[in-house]
Amino acid sequence: MKKTGKVLAAVLIMAMVMSLMTGCGAGKKSGKITIFQSKTEIMTDLNQLAKDYTAETGVEVEVWETTGDNYYSDLKTGLSTQAGATLFSLQPGAESIEMADYLADLSGLSFVNKIGAGMADEINGKVVGIPYTVEGFGLVYNKNMVDAASIATTGDLINYLKTSEADNPLGLSQEDYFLIAHILNAPFAVQADPQGYLDAVLNGSERMADNDAFIEFAELMEAIRESCTNPVDITYDNNCGDFATGKTAMIHQGNWCTGMFADYNVDFDMSLAPVPVTGNKKISVSVPIAWYVNTDATEEEQKLAKDFLEWLYTSETGKTYMMDKFNFIPVVDGMKNNNLDPINQAVSEAVISGNTIPWVMSNWPAGIVTTDLAPITKEFFTTDMSGIELVDKLNDAFVAAAK
Amino acid sequence: MKIGKGWYALFTAPLMIVFMIVVVIPFIIGIGYSFFEWDGLAKHAATFVGFRNYGEVFKDQQFLNATVRTTIFTLITVVTVNLFGIIFALVVTTKLKVRNVARTMLFMPYLIGGLILGYIWKSVFQEFFLSIDWGNWLTDPVKSIVAMVVVTTWQLAGYVMIVYITGIMAIPADVLEAAQVDGASYMQTLFRVKFPMLMPSFTICLFLSLSNCFKIYDVNISLTGVGPNYQSEMFSLNIYNEIFSLSNFGYGQAKAIIFFLIIAIITLIQVSITKKREVAL
Repeated sequence: MKKTGKVLAAVLIMAMVMSLMTGCGAGKKSGKITIFQSKTEIMTDLNQLAKDYTAETGVEVEVWETTGDNYYSDLKTGLSTQAGATLFSLQPGAESIEMADYLADLSGLSFVNKIGAGMADEINGKVVGIPYTVEGFGLVYNKNMVDAASIATTGDLINYLKTSEADNPLGLSQEDYFLIAHILNAPFAVQADPQGYLDAVLNGSERMADNDAFIEFAELMEAIRESCTNPVDITYDNNCGDFATGKTAMIHQGNWCTGMFADYNVDFDMSLAPVPVTGNKKISVSVPIAWYVNTDATEEEQKLAKDFLEWLYTSETGKTYMMDKFNFIPVVDGMKNNNLDPINQAVSEAVISGNTIPWVMSNWPAGIVTTDLAPITKEFFTTDMSGIELVDKLNDAFVAAAK
Repeated sequence: MKIGKGWYALFTAPLMIVFMIVVVIPFIIGIGYSFFEWDGLAKHAATFVGFRNYGEVFKDQQFLNATVRTTIFTLITVVTVNLFGIIFALVVTTKLKVRNVARTMLFMPYLIGGLILGYIWKSVFQEFFLSIDWGNWLTDPVKSIVAMVVVTTWQLAGYVMIVYITGIMAIPADVLEAAQVDGASYMQTLFRVKFPMLMPSFTICLFLSLSNCFKIYDVNISLTGVGPNYQSEMFSLNIYNEIFSLSNFGYGQAKAIIFFLIIAIITLIQVSITKKREVAL
């Protein structure tokens, strides 16, 4: 009796252990690629596109879901443990440089030389990232309430803030990027050599408080605190909603927010104006995310992923999805999007005319916006700290993060 | 009948295996990481730095502030959670007609996840309070901690209430009757008879609320975040940001080990003190 008990126990333990393991060992079929990407608003259409692609070519495409939060740390964990997707997205800049060892060379794709100047992500002379689209941000304004032609300098903008009759002359909101990252990009981007200047700030050889653009930025932030609704009290949704209903005359936002305006009956014209530090006339435009292929995937999988990109950017079906479903601004020669709203149109025109300043913020030390810049800025908006003190504290955070 | 050791092994093995895989082994590996400087990517080499990470933790003012803040928060919250828990338990063990409904309702907040609770209360403390001119509580250094105390109490009080209810139900009726016959007032019965009999429940509830409050993370990240000038940042959020936002795996891990030691020491002291006061019938 006792012996049977032991045998039974052993068998049951084996059974349990086996059942624990089966979950992890799902076998890979040939002809399958996996996609993990962070642009959540295109997720539904991307799943449909995956089905269409399978129907057309027989290659199975699996799209992994994400809410967008923690995407980057999830991706890093996956790649680090050899369980990463074949095709994934990253922000070109600090992120793609950190992950450079995992990025395959995509220079061989046929349309690479048709990508707009400076938009493909190149590391060590090799094209590794294919841009999704471009995005731009600046001062989105209501044409009935703001005369953009009269705002050419920081002084003009501050003057407008003080005299405007709108409930809220200029709306920022409490989320980390909308509170500080985007608006702080402007004084960095107007420097003669933005990347060189950023490097100098990071190694401590330049202080932001000695630079004209940042002095003007400090004055502007003080004027916003004085004349506008406190940004730490407003959420993104409320900020955009107040703009759409005419309570807020101007918001510092980008082309992504236009999707929200469709929910309101917006009865005024709007456009996109630059942040005029040191007389700047250009809006901040860049590639927010790009496609990358995992070097740890098998040769065959990498080949399939490249074929998928080739199809996405050159076939009629792929192009239709990019333009009509994802509503992207074209970045590759030969694509055209005819249904752009005014803000997207303004971004697209700026790209064509070259009237753009870069997103220096993509090269800031990874993670710094959330861990340091936002808490410092929130302190500025809830105390009577001066604008220059704000700039100094931000500067200290940059130096500390670069160590 | 004597039960063979094989049967013990059979029933504990699945749990032990899972516990080893998800707790013990990662914990030991984690101790190893804390001696390295590493950004978490397998292709990037880790440099051995000995005890340097631990030395730096004690020079990190932001972390030390978070430590003090978390301790204050925990002290206040443990009191409020257990106070409300015991009051609720006393109320719903009377002959009140709605006692069963009340138990369910009071327990319900615990069933909602901390993240969701945080987001719900965020709109209360922010949008609602602004609309009635009470100001934004979440950007004020003191009120933001109060807000977290309120939400955590709201969440945990119902949970400890359940433990106290079981404790109260287990008090033998003859002891209470004897007290009544001797002419003890309600307060005397409560403090001299019920509370001493409830000591085992106190041990459990204090332990649960103490460790839960020290480890608070979900309510912190969803309700207040780091806040202006890091004023609402607690232990866990500080460690999370160090590891996952700033990619300092080794340093963050060293913080986590220290965090573990602090909680282990405090809860062990608490359990040993309250255990001594437990009375056996």
